[in-house]
Amino acid sequence: MQSLLLGDGEVFRGEGILAVTKALLQSGVAYVGGYQGAPVSHLVDVLVDAEEMLDDLGIHLETCANEASAAALLAASINYPVRGAVTWKSIVGTNVASDALSNLASAGVTGGALIVVGEDYGEGASVIQERSHAFAVKSSVWLLDPRPDLPTIVRMTEKAFELSEASNTPVMMELRIRACHVQGEFVARDNVPPTHSRRHLLDGPAPQNYDRISHPPSTFKQEKNKFEVRLPAARRFIVDNALNEFFDGENRNVGIILQGGLYNAVLRAMARVGLADAFGKSRVPLMVLNVAHPLVPEQITGFCAGKDAVLLIEEGQPEFIELAVNTILRKADLPTRIVGKDALPMAGEYTAEVIADGLLKFVERHAPELDVAGAARHLAELREARAGAQKTLGELPQRPPNFCTGCPERPVFTAIKLVQREIGPTHIATDIGCHSFATFPPFSLGNSILGYGMSLASAAGVGPMMEKRPIAVMGDGGFWHNGLVSGVSSALFNRSDGVLVILQNGYTSATGAQYLPNSKGNRKDADSTSDIESTLRAMGVKWLRKIDTYALPKMMATLRDAMTTADKGLKVIIGDGECQLARQRRIRPQIAARLKRGERVVRTRFGVDERTCTGDHACIRLSACPSLTLQPNPDPLKSDPVAHVNNDCVGCGLCGEVAHAAVLCPSFYRAEIVQNPRWHDRLLAALRQRTIRLLQPKARQPVAVAAE
Amino acid sequence: MSAQRPLTVLIAALGGEGGGVLADWIVQSALAEDYPVQATSVPGVAQRTGATTYYIEIFPEKRVTLDGRRPVLALLPTPGDVDVMLASELLEAGRAAFNGFVTPDRTLLIASTHRVLAVAEKTAMGDGRYDAATLLDTAQARAAEHVLLDFNALAQEAGAPLNAVLLGALAATNRLPIAAETFRAAIRAEGKAVDANLAGFEAGVAAIRAPDRQGAAASVAGAGPSQAADFDAAARPIIELGVTRLLDYQSPAYAQLYLDRLQRVREAERQAGGDGSLLRETARQLAVRMAFDDVIRVAQMKIEPERLERVRNEVRAKDGDPLVVIDYFKPGIEEICSLLPAALARPILRYSEKRGWLGKVYLGLHVRSNSVSGFLRLRLLAGLRRFRPYSHRYAQEQALIGEWLDAIERACPIDLAMAREIVDLARLIKGYGDTHARSTGSFHRIMQAICLPALRGHMRPAVAADALANARVAALADAEGKRLDEVLGSVADAVTLPAKAAE
Repeated sequence: MQSLLLGDGEVFRGEGILAVTKALLQSGVAYVGGYQGAPVSHLVDVLVDAEEMLDDLGIHLETCANEASAAALLAASINYPVRGAVTWKSIVGTNVASDALSNLASAGVTGGALIVVGEDYGEGASVIQERSHAFAVKSSVWLLDPRPDLPTIVRMTEKAFELSEASNTPVMMELRIRACHVQGEFVARDNVPPTHSRRHLLDGPAPQNYDRISHPPSTFKQEKNKFEVRLPAARRFIVDNALNEFFDGENRNVGIILQGGLYNAVLRAMARVGLADAFGKSRVPLMVLNVAHPLVPEQITGFCAGKDAVLLIEEGQPEFIELAVNTILRKADLPTRIVGKDALPMAGEYTAEVIADGLLKFVERHAPELDVAGAARHLAELREARAGAQKTLGELPQRPPNFCTGCPERPVFTAIKLVQREIGPTHIATDIGCHSFATFPPFSLGNSILGYGMSLASAAGVGPMMEKRPIAVMGDGGFWHNGLVSGVSSALFNRSDGVLVILQNGYTSATGAQYLPNSKGNRKDADSTSDIESTLRAMGVKWLRKIDTYALPKMMATLRDAMTTADKGLKVIIGDGECQLARQRRIRPQIAARLKRGERVVRTRFGVDERTCTGDHACIRLSACPSLTLQPNPDPLKSDPVAHVNNDCVGCGLCGEVAHAAVLCPSFYRAEIVQNPRWHDRLLAALRQRTIRLLQPKARQPVAVAAE
Repeated sequence: MSAQRPLTVLIAALGGEGGGVLADWIVQSALAEDYPVQATSVPGVAQRTGATTYYIEIFPEKRVTLDGRRPVLALLPTPGDVDVMLASELLEAGRAAFNGFVTPDRTLLIASTHRVLAVAEKTAMGDGRYDAATLLDTAQARAAEHVLLDFNALAQEAGAPLNAVLLGALAATNRLPIAAETFRAAIRAEGKAVDANLAGFEAGVAAIRAPDRQGAAASVAGAGPSQAADFDAAARPIIELGVTRLLDYQSPAYAQLYLDRLQRVREAERQAGGDGSLLRETARQLAVRMAFDDVIRVAQMKIEPERLERVRNEVRAKDGDPLVVIDYFKPGIEEICSLLPAALARPILRYSEKRGWLGKVYLGLHVRSNSVSGFLRLRLLAGLRRFRPYSHRYAQEQALIGEWLDAIERACPIDLAMAREIVDLARLIKGYGDTHARSTGSFHRIMQAICLPALRGHMRPAVAADALANARVAALADAEGKRLDEVLGSVADAVTLPAKAAE
């Protein structure tokens, strides 16, 4: 955090996303905002943590209710000379933001407007695989894709504001997952306080300028303006400021055009096949597109002229850049052949291994003078050896994410699974959030996911065609993000007959436990803002129950009731249970402090009696708690491993509830350990121990059977 | 062009294991030694107990010597390009090999050999654990060098986090150009739980420097079943366990019944020319079946003198801290009736079934097993043991055991392999309540569909043995019995075929 205060010449060390934050401060930004989501959650968190510092500079921070609010926030830059930046997870966040984004882009901006999108694509991605590029193209928003190297990311962040102002266009900067988390360093500059801010107010509202309003007839003018004025201005700026980078190489009959974000992977692949060294010195000329949109035709033709073939390395589909480059070359009548998706895969992450394969194909066909045969052989051998290992290992057990130990959402899915056993299967509309982990085994619950807060809406067409009511599951994050209106309001308005289960854990937890309107407290004070229950009642929900999620029998009874009651209309069950991660973070220090003070603390945890467990693991199939695992059967007469609760157990109690509700077995026990016991605790324990010892049957000695 | 290349370190960990902190220690240490370094990761939702990786590249030339030149460091590991693979768990080491990140030309593999089971391994109805020996063998075969130790156990001994122990191990291998003292400084500079982390670090260093570390790794593979030459010798330890179990469970007479029953199987196997393995396995399964888990048995086990100590250890209660153990019982009508004499139990069960109470009406109990009243109740229940032979459940179990033993005995002269499969079928029967009903049901269905036709000669013995093994696996594949339906469906064809051939 202190690194955000670094001044001229000092070396900043940290994550990519923190570097972006520092670059915003160095750019004189006046307002920032966003909605959390990997891989940019941390940016929002950093901004919140740095609020005091932002305040000193007069910067306004808005933690938005969703990406649409965040995009709309940038409207401040339409009329006023103030720089603003927002962030969200893409593609999904951009989808949600797109209405505001279109309007913003049409009107154009006076002050620099930057959108930092976390491009959640490839390994580790948690959303549908699409490209933000499409939005940039269709809305005429400029798209930066900087080399994943801190000095470049910082420079491009700063240049983004200038580009935005020079072309009156909002700018989007995409950072891939690993670029957000990359650790590196850059030489910092002083932070720049914004000229207009909370500390230095604007002179007053701007006089109305109809041209700035996204409303006809301005919209027609604005559309023309995009390509007649803003696009040429942007291209001029890109060339003048050398935003795209060119690296020369001795083999000039071929070249490579690549997205900036892929630079390190491409260079590694080139090093693997002997086309570059560790310092980026290449044998083939490179054109690095730190600006993925718009392209500058003169730069493209300049690079391609005189080359037989150019490899275009563009991740994801459709191949927007490849299509555009081909059009540019065709119009310029250049015969250079563009090799793109014909040598590289259409979809999926471009790792160095994937790129190396494409490079080999390209070189073999178009630059045979570059001898890569040795490298090709080496890669083939590696692949063969790996295939051997894969054959030996066969299918390895996967480890998808799972509910945390003691998660309050797990019991709800146990309840749904158990109720389904009684009343038969139901259609389950799932949502975005930790609770979507219930789609994985052992719960395997859920028929569709339609986006954040969309579960109830996505059940609207299913319900009327089903004998049994569908169940829509939604987190409190999804509820406030979108579910309130798209789901609840629409269902009430249409008199829908269905069940909505809202999992209220008090935070948007999958993204790192950010505050929500219903959180106890928020970043400013200790009050919660809105309450889901009263909100729903005010909207007209009649059938509403709030249940402690760990109360499994009660939750089951409520679900049963909701599924079978003659009451038509929307039935809402609020499953209430604080995020266990957040809870542990909150109470652990408290407990430690109490123990230290010598206060009496009762610790609860669960265990499995290894002697009575029969190794069927039905308990695990109804929970999959990480702390509920297996150990070898201690009984030499039995071979199947028995269930075992390890020391991560937080004593949530689900094990016992499940054993009871599902009538599993008598193996689960709850242990209550009195720490810092008082004299009466000790006395009672001693009395019990002594009495029990008297009552205890004698242990039998092992016998030996005589040989016959 | 420079021929120098970066040193690459890939860390495979599970969410919440501190892989990020480990990566950070390495980065800070490299920086302290003035090497260009870059690290990145894919946290996201993987932090919720999923498998996750952290990747570090260190350029092995100090920055002062580079004259401002900056190496281009990759953000993703490339198969065949990993110098040090650190895995916090054995399956993740195997996964690294699977993905090509452990290669014999350059990779030093440092992995903990303990297992953290994946959900799919835990939910299997029998033993779904992936074979640890395969993981270990592959990891060893693929690595240029390897250090495979139970670092988790070392961490627990040292009272330290696993990631610190792994860092110590990494430091002691001297594979990175970073001094151990620099790593220690990084731990201190991080400032969190410094003492525990340093203790872990030293434990890791000591583990690598200990001369006998390879021995510890070898022991992970585990010992296979012992092969005894003598017919009875192989079975004797099992039989002794069985007799002890049944003396404790019921009475000397009951233990004698066990021995008498085994005697029949022993004779049958001997005459069929067996090697005693059938006797051994029958001894194992028969003891378990005769010590069936009824309410009395559960009460017996809950009041065993050593139980409280076991619980104390398991929940890590400190000496002198009072402990209360609350057991969860929920007997249904069947369980309660199982204690009654058959003449009484049957009409009650019939009536309950008519009223639809079975599987619905239960008596939920939370018993404080180590309070005086709770213990007394369990003690009284356990004391019902002497009435057990008159109970409904006893009669049922003995009849089933009799049928099973008959089948084994009859199968011996036909085909020993088939007999052995019938013995193993008993492994299916387990659990309480629904689980018991389901598993006993599967057992019955397989007996009817395969054993009986085979014993009557309607199925070739080899086919039957195969079908029995398939059916046993299928019965454990899903709780709904879908797989078993399929297998038994296909077996039905095999039953009719020989009959047709004979026509």
